[in-house]
Amino acid sequence: MPINDIPILSMLRERMQWQQARQQVLAENVANADTPDYQAKDLAPLDFSQQLTAALPLERTNPNHIADASGGGSQFATGGGGPYEVRPRGNTVSHEDEMMKVAGNQMDYEAATEMYTHSLNLIKLAVKE
Amino acid sequence: MSMDFLKSLTIAASGLRAQMGRMRIITENIANADSLATTPGGDPYRRRIVTFSSELDRSIGADVVKLGRVQPDNTDFLVRHEPGNPAANAQGDVKYPNVNTLVELTDLRDAQRSYEANLNIVTATRKMMQLTVDMLKG
Repeated sequence: MPINDIPILSMLRERMQWQQARQQVLAENVANADTPDYQAKDLAPLDFSQQLTAALPLERTNPNHIADASGGGSQFATGGGGPYEVRPRGNTVSHEDEMMKVAGNQMDYEAATEMYTHSLNLIKLAVKE
Repeated sequence: MSMDFLKSLTIAASGLRAQMGRMRIITENIANADSLATTPGGDPYRRRIVTFSSELDRSIGADVVKLGRVQPDNTDFLVRHEPGNPAANAQGDVKYPNVNTLVELTDLRDAQRSYEANLNIVTATRKMMQLTVDMLKG
C-alpha cells in the first residue's frame, strides 16, 4: 500500500495544497491593495465531509440504494463574502483582514504539517514493534 | 509542491517593487516642492502621480501588480505675488509647484504600510516553506 493511499495522509496533503493555493490568493490581494477596482478574493473553504467521503467512499451494496450525490465540482473555486469596505478607488482589499487570514493560514498549515509528521511517527512505531 | 509558495513570493515581490516605485515618485514630489521655473513666467515643477494596474503574469498564472504610467497632476499651480523673484512674470506673479507636502507625507505613510503588508506575506510564506522542510526531520 503506497503511503499516499493512507486516508489521513492524503487528506492532510490535500489540506496543505489548499493552504498553499490560499496563500497565493492572499498574496495577490495584498499586492493589489492599491490597484483601482481590484476585488479581494479568497478560496472557498475546504469541505471536510466531502473530503471524508472521497477518502472513505460509501459502498452501494444493493443497486436499489440511492447513489451518493456528493463529490464533483471544483473545491478550489474562488468565492468570497461581502467586502468589509469599498474604498473610493473601488478597491475592496482590507490590509487588516488579509493579515488576519495570512496568520490563520500559517497556523493551520503548521497544524497540518505537525499532524502529518505525527501520523508518520505512528506508522514508524507500528513498523518497529 | 512548494512551487505555489514560490508563486506567492513572486506576487509579494511585485507588490514590494510597486510600492518602492510609488515611494520614489513621492520623494521626487517632496524634493521638488520648491522647484520654481528657470525662466521668468515659466511653469514650475508639476506634481506627479503613480498608477497601479493588475496584470496577469502568464509564467505563474496569477495577478501581479505593476506600476502603470506616471501621470502629471493637472491641478492649478499656487500663484504668489513676488515681483523680485527671478521666476516672476511681467505682472510679478510667481507660480509655485502644486505639491502639498502634507498630502505627500500621508501618501508616503500609506505606501510604507502597503510595503510592510507585502513583507509580512514574504515572512509568512517563508515560515510555511520552512515548516514543509521541517517535516523531513520527522
